[in-house]
Amino acid sequence: MSARDPGPNEDEMPLDRLGPGERGVILRLEGDRSIVRRLMELGLVPGTTVEVVRRAPLGDPVELRVRRIHLSIRGSEAAHIHVAPR
Amino acid sequence: MSRHAEAPGVPAQPVIPLPHARDLSAPAARPRVIAILGNPNAGKSTLFNRLTGLRQKAGNYPGVTVEKKTGFCDLPSGRRVELLDLPGSYSLHPGSPDEVIVRDVLLGLQSDTPPPDLILFVVDATHLDRHLYLALQAIEIGRPVILALNMMDAARAQGIEIDELALERQLGVPVAGISAAKGAGLGNLRRLMDREVEPSTTHFRRWAPHLQRVLQSLESRLPGHPSLPERGRLDLAMALLLDDGEDDALARSTPPAVLDDARILRRRLDQIEPGWRSDEVEGRYEIISEIIASAVLSSGQKHDRTSERIDRVLTHRVLGPVLFILLMGAMFQSVFAWAQPAMDVIDFLVSRLGVVLRSLMPDGPLRSLIVDGIVTGVGTTLTFVPQIAVLYFFLSVLEDTGYMARAAFIMDRLMGKVGLSGRAFIPLLSSFACAIPGIMATRTIDNRRDRLATIMIAPFMSCSARLPVYALLIGAFVPNRWIGFVTLPGITLFSMYFLGILAAVAVAWALKRTLLRSGKPLYVMELPPYRVPSWRSILLTVRERSLLFVCKAGTVILAVSVVLWFLASYPRGGPAVDSVRSEIAAAQSAGDHARASALENQLAGVSLRDSFAGRAGRLLEPAIRPLGFDWRIGIGLITSLAAREVMVSTMATVFGLGDAGQNAVSLRAHLRDAVDPETGRKLYSPLIGVSLMVFFVLACQCMSTLAVARRETNSWRWPVFMLVMMNALAWIVSFAVFQGGRLLGFGS
Repeated sequence: MSARDPGPNEDEMPLDRLGPGERGVILRLEGDRSIVRRLMELGLVPGTTVEVVRRAPLGDPVELRVRRIHLSIRGSEAAHIHVAPR
Repeated sequence: MSRHAEAPGVPAQPVIPLPHARDLSAPAARPRVIAILGNPNAGKSTLFNRLTGLRQKAGNYPGVTVEKKTGFCDLPSGRRVELLDLPGSYSLHPGSPDEVIVRDVLLGLQSDTPPPDLILFVVDATHLDRHLYLALQAIEIGRPVILALNMMDAARAQGIEIDELALERQLGVPVAGISAAKGAGLGNLRRLMDREVEPSTTHFRRWAPHLQRVLQSLESRLPGHPSLPERGRLDLAMALLLDDGEDDALARSTPPAVLDDARILRRRLDQIEPGWRSDEVEGRYEIISEIIASAVLSSGQKHDRTSERIDRVLTHRVLGPVLFILLMGAMFQSVFAWAQPAMDVIDFLVSRLGVVLRSLMPDGPLRSLIVDGIVTGVGTTLTFVPQIAVLYFFLSVLEDTGYMARAAFIMDRLMGKVGLSGRAFIPLLSSFACAIPGIMATRTIDNRRDRLATIMIAPFMSCSARLPVYALLIGAFVPNRWIGFVTLPGITLFSMYFLGILAAVAVAWALKRTLLRSGKPLYVMELPPYRVPSWRSILLTVRERSLLFVCKAGTVILAVSVVLWFLASYPRGGPAVDSVRSEIAAAQSAGDHARASALENQLAGVSLRDSFAGRAGRLLEPAIRPLGFDWRIGIGLITSLAAREVMVSTMATVFGLGDAGQNAVSLRAHLRDAVDPETGRKLYSPLIGVSLMVFFVLACQCMSTLAVARRETNSWRWPVFMLVMMNALAWIVSFAVFQGGRLLGFGS
């Protein structure tokens, strides 16, 4: 697994801004503490690579791939996950 | 405060005596309990079905809508153990009512469920890291655990190589590679289940110093929990620290002083270590990657290419929704088409049974009770079964192949607009066939409030029982005119379906903003890999759902049918009935058989009018007059409580049409042309017909729906709310239609 601290100069963006097929390494999650904990329990831990697989036909939710598992979360929650694009 | 002790307490399931010699190590009073635990989609239920076969039983945990499945399994030594299929969970620290139950059972706090003697933990070998998260939590508690590495066949096909012995060493628990779907490795698993398994002594806790101190201090304040292993006390402390303050078994089994301590400690920890919640998760995932590094020899290809290819089509921007609509259309059509012949057969057999019993028994109240009350009630219950079975067949196929999650993915945006999740779509669609299987299908919705809102709006979907009523009223009152490409009756029928959908959307929107407002729901859903379903599992589900309906809802439906029979048949006879009877006798002695049989038909109408139901119909008249309904319709509204389509036969009886009234054409003509004997004016206008249809769209008339809502929500509160809310809405809208129509001059 890659390092937790990606360094200060890396550009950071919310996960919902990644397009289909694009990948990023999770830097941090923000928002409601119990929601953050839950997302992390599902494998969205800082340092993990996450890929946006696709958006649903109506634009929301988004399908993510993390640890070979496919998760669908709404764009509003993806906005709380900050990644360094890869 | 009830501290859960070792006493057997009230067994939730009947204790089946052990057939063979008891194992001395097992507690003598009850069979060993083995709990099957794992993430959703780990294949738990398939394994449960494999191990128990038909010896299983479903019920609910008390006070909640979480399903409790138990079964029996014979082990190689001849010992019989009880298996408990726990709901699929992602974590010991719950995010849903299902997971609350799992936590409380594992910590030994669930008073109706004995703490498991052994945990059979099922992981998906192709997603070992994420599945190990809960596994580590479960092992830490200190109960004996066996790890079943499921889907080993799929893992091998993907090039994943797992060193089972290394995994065993890392975790400190026995590991068995299996494929539950194919039945591979189960012999070995059963032998392991037969052995005495020692709890793991490995520690997987990596806590920050502050958290560690807080947990130890909280743990020292906990009361004694005889059914919780010593090392599990720290997990109980962690559960209290993460508790959301809901009134569950955890809160009830903890002294208020300790709950207060937990609150204070949590606040202090939030100040000095704000990230403690997520740090704990990160720490566990670090341990998991160390375990994976030493136990997984090859992690195989990057992802499941087959699923990826299927998804490229099924969730495609354009093709996805098109295929979804086609699939739903085909499913909906099949529920109608496949269930109908079976329903006809049941109908036929029940009416034959009625005829046979009628000829065997002497005329009298007992015969009437058995034939018109009980046989009819049983028949009503049974005619639902084909629809439930067919629908559940499709639902299980959709769920087990993995398509259900994709359907929710596609529909989530649309359903989200009224505050529901994508998972609500299929139960609502099913409700167009019948709200009963529809309400039962809401079990796939994990958010409790979303599920309740979906149950509340499901009966607004125009079910197949409303169709005969629509057909009768449209046939009677709507002229068959072409308007462009469509006919007026077609438009009317469509409008009725549309009105129901509109009402459902409005009520869902209102409920999600008031009674069922969810704080900050997290919509996260796993899209599992596509799999070939296990037909065995699907047929078991279909069988279980059908039986559950017959046993649980069927008893209520039967009771209501008997009550309705009583109301429609008592008091027997009266001056009006007697005078018709004497006229019949007179006609028969005069040899006028035509007149006698016409009078026979009238007799049924007269006795119904004089019955309690008839009186209630007349009593109801002032309340329904503003909607344009008279007492005749009132009687129909009361008898249609048994099933909406009963309205049609009741109207035939009221108008004295006898069996001829079952012929829809003559009943339509009769309704259209009926005149009020007192005023000589027509009884019903097209406006009344429309008002009545609108009432049927919106009113909650179906006792069976209420019975199922009662079972699925585990309380009478929600069905009563449903009854009041729907009928108030029906009254208001029908009132607006009728009075508005009159003002606009459509009255006559």
